[in-house]
Amino acid sequence: MEYHLLTYSLLFLPIVAILYQLVPARFRWLVLLTADYLFFWMVSKWLIIFLLIATLATYGTGRILAYVTEHSSVKGKQLTKKKRWVLAFGIAITLGMLIVFKYLKVFGLSLIAPIGISYYTLQTISYMTDVYRGTIKADTKLARIALYLSFFPQIMEGPISKYSQTAESLFAGKRIEYNNLVSGYQRILWGLFKKMMVADRLAPVIFKIFGDYEKYDGAAVAVAVVCYTLQLYTEFSGGMDIILGSGEIFGVKLPENFRQPFFAKNASDFWRRWHITLGVWLKDYIFYPLSLAKPVKKFAKKIKGIFGIGVSKFVAPTIALFFVWLSNGIWHGAGWTYLFYGMYYFVLIFIENITEEPIGKLIEKWHIHTNKLGWRLLTGMKLFVIINLGELFFRAKSVAQGFGMLGKICTNFHITVIGEMDFGLDNYDILLSMAGIFIVFVVDILHEKDISIREKVASCRLPLRWGFWYAVIFVIIIFGAYGAGYTIVDMIYAAY
Amino acid sequence: MEELIEILEELLPGEDVEHCTTLIDDHILNSFGILSLVSEIEEAFDVEVSPAELTPDNFNSAAKLWDMISRLKEDN
Repeated sequence: MEYHLLTYSLLFLPIVAILYQLVPARFRWLVLLTADYLFFWMVSKWLIIFLLIATLATYGTGRILAYVTEHSSVKGKQLTKKKRWVLAFGIAITLGMLIVFKYLKVFGLSLIAPIGISYYTLQTISYMTDVYRGTIKADTKLARIALYLSFFPQIMEGPISKYSQTAESLFAGKRIEYNNLVSGYQRILWGLFKKMMVADRLAPVIFKIFGDYEKYDGAAVAVAVVCYTLQLYTEFSGGMDIILGSGEIFGVKLPENFRQPFFAKNASDFWRRWHITLGVWLKDYIFYPLSLAKPVKKFAKKIKGIFGIGVSKFVAPTIALFFVWLSNGIWHGAGWTYLFYGMYYFVLIFIENITEEPIGKLIEKWHIHTNKLGWRLLTGMKLFVIINLGELFFRAKSVAQGFGMLGKICTNFHITVIGEMDFGLDNYDILLSMAGIFIVFVVDILHEKDISIREKVASCRLPLRWGFWYAVIFVIIIFGAYGAGYTIVDMIYAAY
Repeated sequence: MEELIEILEELLPGEDVEHCTTLIDDHILNSFGILSLVSEIEEAFDVEVSPAELTPDNFNSAAKLWDMISRLKEDN
């Protein structure tokens, strides 16, 4: 079962919500946990055992860390060392399972992984590390940890939440409020709109051209790359709308994963707006600890002595940044394209960091107004090219194919052929997908200006309010890309 | 506290670092800026800042930063 299928939003989710509401508050967590494990079982069957192992390891590590902290006879650095061993052991168990399932194919062994292992493993590490650091207390309730790791709306593709963000509300068993129910389903509708109006409609173009790019002109290849970027955005952010909307129904506020990424100023800013929770996780559990690690600081000090602070201030962050992007690439899968994708952003962000100061001075010297439309359009276009180039390699079957496609775009680009090309879409589909993209773009502009459409609609009179949402439902039913002639595409990020 | 304000002023020229309470929330300090600040703080006040201390709450204002430094000094 996937979130964009009607069996989820019209069957599974409402049944869970009704049962949740019917039982007494103190048992509601049990309904959620049963739904979580049932959902997991429906997709991954006996592989649920690995989720259970991860849950027990996470809970156990937290409890041992708490015990060691309270009862250890040693203090200070010795205690830290002891705790570090416990943490390392806990992480080795959960991360070990991820490595076995995800990366053994490098050695020719391919295993079917439990759903969401890439996501819940990061949550296990987040919880154990936070207990180790003392930023949260070790939970005494196994059920709360189980709920935190397996919440059915987020298990397949995140968002990667911290224990402090969701565990309490998952366990609290708050009654479903009418406003939350309506608002949650409105957000689910918006997610379905993105997925069925845009993402799935663009899929044939991407399959066709990425599958056999040599046959096509560079202009057609460029169209396919842009379509893929738009597909990935509407599909992943649409999925998040469905997931966050589902959470909202139960009063669980999951962290946002997208914030109008195409309005970013540069690549660094883009990654503060795209797959936000993965970026936050990498920052909190790789970037900061590595930057502050003693050997790294020692090395930075050495560099300071030789080249001065102007160079040394980049040393620790750059070393950490390299590992952040290496991890980002590898996290997506065991493939050279993902590694290339990670290194691509490492180089870009490194360049942005070291040129930030001189470019800032030039902007000041030349009296460039960075808020003016012209400048924003220019930087926006530059970023759009950067994003698309990254997605080209991300989607390509191999790095060689990526370069082949890029070569086509650079050396064999004839804009005039676009009108004559068969992209696998008829005029009806082209028109509807463009209309869908336009609507998503307008909504993103409004969100960028801090305008909430749901709040605006909610403030309208009842006929207008319901008229609006019925219109959205009918647009999806009538114009959605499903049924004969269409293929419902699996959720892309559920595969990572 | 004065020394801390000097460090912040040098790191964030043109910002009202003494009164600003949203250094992180308003993205005035990014992750690179935080690390530069940590390195300066460690050198100036002879403390060790661990990753656990790198929370928005500790870095949102000069006053909060000073609280963290005082606490770390006491722990030493």
